[in-house]
Amino acid sequence: MAAWSCRFLLQRGTRLISLRAAAESPVQLVGCVRTYMRKNEPWQRHEWTEGSRRVGLVAVKLGMAPIWTTTGERHVVTMLQVQDCHVIKYLPKEEYDGCTAALIVGGKNVSPFYRSESELEMFRNAGVPPKQKVTTFKVSDNALIKPGTPLYAAHFRPGQYVDVTAKSIGKGFQGVMKRWGFKGQPATHGQTKTHRRPGASGPGGDPAKVFKGKKMPGKMGNTYITAHGLKIWRVNTKHNVLYVHGSVPGHRNCLLKVRDTALPTRSSTLLNPPFPTYFSEEEADLDEDLYDDNLFFHTEPSLTLT
Amino acid sequence: MAACVKGLDKFTFSLRLIRNLQLQNERYLSTSLCRSAPESNADPPRFIPPSKPVIIDKTQPEASKRKFLSPEFIPPRQRTDPVKFSMERKDMIRRRKVLDIPEFYVGSILAVTMADPNASGKVNRFVGICIQRGGKGLGATFVLRNIINNQGVEICYEVYSPRIQKIEVLKLEKRLDDNLMYLRDALPEYSTVDPDMKPVNYSHTGEVPVNKIKVRMRPKPWSKRWERPNFDIQGIRFDLCLTPEQMAHAQKWAKPWEEYDMLKEYDTSQLEKEIFLEVQQEMNK
Repeated sequence: MAAWSCRFLLQRGTRLISLRAAAESPVQLVGCVRTYMRKNEPWQRHEWTEGSRRVGLVAVKLGMAPIWTTTGERHVVTMLQVQDCHVIKYLPKEEYDGCTAALIVGGKNVSPFYRSESELEMFRNAGVPPKQKVTTFKVSDNALIKPGTPLYAAHFRPGQYVDVTAKSIGKGFQGVMKRWGFKGQPATHGQTKTHRRPGASGPGGDPAKVFKGKKMPGKMGNTYITAHGLKIWRVNTKHNVLYVHGSVPGHRNCLLKVRDTALPTRSSTLLNPPFPTYFSEEEADLDEDLYDDNLFFHTEPSLTLT
Repeated sequence: MAACVKGLDKFTFSLRLIRNLQLQNERYLSTSLCRSAPESNADPPRFIPPSKPVIIDKTQPEASKRKFLSPEFIPPRQRTDPVKFSMERKDMIRRRKVLDIPEFYVGSILAVTMADPNASGKVNRFVGICIQRGGKGLGATFVLRNIINNQGVEICYEVYSPRIQKIEVLKLEKRLDDNLMYLRDALPEYSTVDPDMKPVNYSHTGEVPVNKIKVRMRPKPWSKRWERPNFDIQGIRFDLCLTPEQMAHAQKWAKPWEEYDMLKEYDTSQLEKEIFLEVQQEMNK
C-alpha cells in the first residue's frame, strides 16, 4: 500500500527537490557539468557476432491480456513496461568474476530519501536518479554501454524469445501439500487428525537420519524464479511496453529482469538484434507498434478460416 | 326562406369569384411588380439556392443516439496502472472500427456469425438470448442460450475475437436481472428463440424497453439456490414453486449490512463519463 501511494507523492517530491537544488546551489551544478565534459565521449560500438551477449532490461509487470493469431488461436500475454531503465555502472571482468564483464542496470525511479549514501553515490556517478531495482547482466566485451544511457523497450523485437526473472508472490509459511504438492491423507475411513501431514520422513534404521534437503513445511514464495523461452508478440515504442507470451512470476507492478534466452533451440531467432542496444537518436523511424508476423492486429478485417 | 337561401348561395358564389379574381389580379400585380423592380435598380435579386434535400439512408443500420458505454470499458477496482487499461481501450476501439459491435443488454436476442473451420461454408450462425456479460477489457465475453432440438445450448463468445464476423441484435430489451443463469432451471419455453427470427425494429432514442416477465421454474432441485438473497433475483415466480416458509428460510442468508458497507462502494460515474468521451472521440476520428 505504501509503495503504491508513494509513487504519486514521489512525482511531486522530485519536482520540489529539483527546484530547491537549482535555487540553492547553482555554482555546484556548473562545477559538475565542467567535470563531466571530460568524460562525455560516447563509447565504441561493435557489430553483433554469434555468441555475443547483450544487456537486458528492467521492466514493470502491468497485467495480462488476450491475444489472437492469424489462424484464430487465442493466447494470453503479459504486458511489461520499461520505466526509466538506465545503465548505471560498468564492471570490467577483473572486478566482476575474472571471466565476463558485467553491466549494472537499474529500473524504476524512486525517492532518494530511503536509499543509503553508498547507493546514492553510485547513482550520482552515473548521472541518473535513484532506482528501485538494480541488477547485473553478464555481457560480452563487444556489447559494453556507457553508464547513463537509457534503455528502451525497442531493445527487444517481436519474434524474439526472452527469459524473465522476478520474485514470486510470497505465500508465507505453507504446509507440505501446497508447498511441495504432497498428496496428504484421506479425509475419512478412520484417519485420526491426519489429513494434510507429510507422512514418513525417509528410510528407517540404516541411515537413521533425515537427509538434508528433505521437503518439509516452510516459507513459500518471495524467491527469484525465472520463466524461460517466452516469445515477444508485440512491442509498443510509445509507452515502452513489451507483450510477452504466457505468465510471468511476480505480482502486478513488480519489477522484473528481462534478458535474451539462454535456451539453445531459440537462439536462432536472435539474428541482427539492435546491438548493443536500441538508441532512439539513430533509429527514430520505428512505428509506434511492432507486431509479430503471426499476430492478428485489430485494424485488420475479421478472420475467414479456409 | 328558401328564396333567401338561394339568393345567399348565388351571393357567396359571386363573392368567391370576386375573391379569386382579386387574388389572381394580386398575383399578376406581384409578378409584374417584381419584374418591374429589377429593371429600375442596378443589382440583380440575391440568388436564394433551393433547400438541400434531406437524404435518409435506410440501407445502413441506424446509429444509436442513446448514451451507452459497453460495460467492458469500465476498468475493475484494482491496483493496476491506468496505462494498461488505456492501451487495451485503444485496441478495443480499433476492433470496433472494423466490426460493428452494437449496443445490447442481458436479455436481448442476438445472432452471431463466426468463422468455424469445421462447419460447412466455414461460417456458423447462432441465435440466442444473452444470459450473461462478463470480463473486462479485450477478454469481455457474453453467453447466448437457445434450445435446439430439445437440447439446451449455451455458447460463450468473446466480444473482440477476430473469428466473429457479425453481431446482430434481433431484439433489444432488458430484463429485471443482470444475470439470467436461472433460465437453465426454468421451463424450456423461456429459453427458446426461433433461429430464423426477423429483427424487431427498436427505437434508437429514449429508454430501452424492460421486459418485466417473471419466469416459471422446473421443480427443485435447481443448479443454484436462486431464492437466496445473494443472487437477488427479481425475475422468478417464487410464489408458484416455493412456500412462504422456504422463502423466509432463504432470508437467513441475507446480509443487510452490505448496503451500508462503505469500503465496498465503487463509484464509477466519473470514470464512465471520461471513458465515454474518450471512446466517442476516438470512434468519430
